[in-house]
Amino acid sequence: MGFINAARDMRTIKQLLTAAEAEARSCGEQTPGPEHLLLASTALPDGTAARALERVGLDPRRLRTAIEEAHAGALASVGIDVEPRPDGTSGLRSPATGAFRSTPQAQQVFQEAVSLSKSTKPSLLRGAHVVAAVCSLEHGTASRALAALGVDRGRLRETACDEVGIR
Amino acid sequence: MVGAQPLPGPEEPEAALAAVVALRRLASRLEVAAVVEAITQGWTWAQVGEALGISAQAAHKKFASEVRARRGR
Repeated sequence: MGFINAARDMRTIKQLLTAAEAEARSCGEQTPGPEHLLLASTALPDGTAARALERVGLDPRRLRTAIEEAHAGALASVGIDVEPRPDGTSGLRSPATGAFRSTPQAQQVFQEAVSLSKSTKPSLLRGAHVVAAVCSLEHGTASRALAALGVDRGRLRETACDEVGIR
Repeated sequence: MVGAQPLPGPEEPEAALAAVVALRRLASRLEVAAVVEAITQGWTWAQVGEALGISAQAAHKKFASEVRARRGR
């Protein structure tokens, strides 16, 4: 990878991780998980994540609500009734400090996304790499939110891979 | 409130584990809101720590920046 591409890759990674952290904090969580990486990937300027989601019939703007609803549904299953609040009103307002930290599953997603990006040309991390990596997770909030939206993870992964030229 | 609804049984680990995640998240939101309210009402960090079962220093370290941000200081 040339110097310019390496610098561009670093910029994308910073954008992705900063946005994932902001997504987590906006819903009151200190530590980003795969669902926050997924949300952050749809905001990357390359547009491949949002396009992959749209190609399987999912409006990326519905993701945030679906995640809140997945949590609300889980609480309802133990008899706790809360209104899903995707508006950020219960978010953390203090700035994130210290080194970037994420859940082990988010780390796994990030590493797989980077690994996938190395198999494409140009070998730059793009949003669809993150989407494909999130689809590898069988359990957890991201997979439950996608299932609730009627998205088949296998098909979404294939579509995301196709979006970045992985056959 | 937890009502008469039965908890997801061990035969439904996916649902039970998702409920655990959502409960942790809810508890965390409630904890921050309650600490901000307590400090706003004049509680000391020692009192907050005592109520939460942690030290005053731990309470301050964990919540002080959020309290400052929410109180606009």
